[in-house]
Amino acid sequence: MSQGAVVATVRRVGAQTSVVDVDGSITAQSESELMNAFTLASSGTTRGVILNFSGLEYMNSTGIGLLVTLLVRANRQQQQMMAFGLNDHYRNIFELTRLNEAIHIYPDEASAVQASEAL
Amino acid sequence: MEATSSLVQRFKQFARRGSGGSDHPRRTADERLPLPDAPPIDIAPDDPIIAYFQRASGAVDIDQISIDSPAIEHLRAAGVKLVVPLVSQGELIGMLNLGARLSEQEYSADDRRLLDSLASHAAPAVRVAQLVRQQQAEARERESIAQELRIAHLIQQTLLPKQLPDLPGWHISAYYQPARAVGGDFYDFIELPDGKIGLVVGDASSKGVPAALVMATTRTMLRASAQRLVEPGIVLERTNEVLCADIPRNMFVTCLYAVLDPTSGHIQYANAGHNLPYLRTASGVVEMRATGWPLGLMPGMTYEEKQIIVSPGDNVLLYSDGLVEAHDPQGDMFGSNRLTALMHDVASASTLIDRMLTHLTLFTGPDHEQEDDITLVALERSAAVWQHAPDTLGAGGEDADTMTPTSSRSPSGGDHRLLLEFSLPSVTGNERIAMERVAAAVGDLGIPSATVERIKTAVAETTMNAIEHGNDNREELPVSIRVVLSAGDLVICIVDQGGNEPIPEPTTPDLEAKLAGLQSPRGWGLFLIKSMVDEMRVAGDATHHAVELIFRLNENEGSGASVSG
Repeated sequence: MSQGAVVATVRRVGAQTSVVDVDGSITAQSESELMNAFTLASSGTTRGVILNFSGLEYMNSTGIGLLVTLLVRANRQQQQMMAFGLNDHYRNIFELTRLNEAIHIYPDEASAVQASEAL
Repeated sequence: MEATSSLVQRFKQFARRGSGGSDHPRRTADERLPLPDAPPIDIAPDDPIIAYFQRASGAVDIDQISIDSPAIEHLRAAGVKLVVPLVSQGELIGMLNLGARLSEQEYSADDRRLLDSLASHAAPAVRVAQLVRQQQAEARERESIAQELRIAHLIQQTLLPKQLPDLPGWHISAYYQPARAVGGDFYDFIELPDGKIGLVVGDASSKGVPAALVMATTRTMLRASAQRLVEPGIVLERTNEVLCADIPRNMFVTCLYAVLDPTSGHIQYANAGHNLPYLRTASGVVEMRATGWPLGLMPGMTYEEKQIIVSPGDNVLLYSDGLVEAHDPQGDMFGSNRLTALMHDVASASTLIDRMLTHLTLFTGPDHEQEDDITLVALERSAAVWQHAPDTLGAGGEDADTMTPTSSRSPSGGDHRLLLEFSLPSVTGNERIAMERVAAAVGDLGIPSATVERIKTAVAETTMNAIEHGNDNREELPVSIRVVLSAGDLVICIVDQGGNEPIPEPTTPDLEAKLAGLQSPRGWGLFLIKSMVDEMRVAGDATHHAVELIFRLNENEGSGASVSG
């Protein structure tokens, strides 16, 4: 995988929940991959889209902007975004930017899926 | 043929002498009856008379010789009656030719004994005289060649730059010493549009005059190409095409051609089989590698192009193989390892060449005869760009112009240690290279991992801003980064070339407005930087931004920030 690239894999994990496994970096170069993955994940009966950041290597300010863009789309579609797998540094950045108020962070996938299915 | 020719000449001389020629008029008492000048007699090298005289035991009557010889006919026609061969060490070196006696009597036995005795004494003396004359002629020829070489040397000197480029912020020095009167090495500085400078170092195969002629041709062709073309690889490609048509077989030219933008420190270069130049930065010495065949070997060649940024304080050395392939008395080569080690040790280009030559002399020994031409061209970019940095890095202070990779005192009096200094082209993605290099440079300081992560994000974001906003994504403009440990603070200064646009004050983004679509989802960079550092300073002038990221390593882990301009 080249520097700056991301692979976003979508898994359907519940009746109204999809997980996007983020593997790589979230930068300007990953925009189309992330947007396509979100489109796939948020289709149909989806009410919750969970971002799995366990494979996140690097995210910059442009990447934060991309997450905001996803949030705008999710809000428009009345869907909830959630996340798990963030390391301490990026969890800190989520708090500094208050992204954690819009994207609820869970300790693991199971708890995130449970919350999404309860929406 | 040379011996034959000189033999004929010698016979000409002795034919004249023997007949009382004009250069040696007969000095007998009979000056009242001067003998007429006898014409010179040419004796062909294959004339059987030569062998005949060589074997003769004494004076020979011409009329008694019955062999078929054109020379004999000439001698008879000249009135020669008696020939006394002069033989030295078995070689016929001359003849005493005598006409009829004035008394018209035959030569007596006493006359012949006298003449034989005279010949036996005269032959070695004549031989010595011939050798002296031959040596004098050869000495004159050598002096003539030496004079021509002196003129060739002067002509070649006119083909080398008469003065070094005077570039603000740069120090350039050069050294050129051919192994013979003239050499095949050359170097050149070519003025190009937009204030750029073409740098050339080349080496024609062979030595001496042939190499010098090829060198002169190549220089002219390369200059012509460089004035019309921009890309160094294309310039070499074109020069190769033209040179291939004219260069003698089995000769070729290695050549490094680089284009320097003195403003940005950007160097674009291509290499036609020449020794790889070296770039010395604060973090080490690296080869400037680019591939390509020597010029003149084969048409249709292409040349790889590479580029580097020369940061303030960096050196570049271009050189020829006469330096690295010099041998010591034991036969060991000077080698590139020795060269790079010297570059490690020498901070200034102004002393780099002197240092190289001093070590070369020590290596080869005092009695060394220079084996090959030696050419050195050294560039150094001064540290002036850091003058734009805020106070922590010594702007306006005593260290501003002389920052070197050694410990010094900061204006505030604390320890001041340069950890890393480098530049990168303005290419998206290079911010991650900057981030990783800075992280590696602070890796031994025992900094908590959380702080290292903050450092990495702040460096990446600041570098990205410098690339995108400061340098407008123009690859040729460098982003220069310097990492200093100063009195317990880690200070990272990042400089771009976009000083005409002020850096806005960092503010806290309004997430609600972004989510409502009222603001762009982007615009997190400065806020992120400010959030990562303990202090952020911004300075600059008309052409530079300098952003200083300060991490207080002795304070508790945290991310409190303040901003000052």
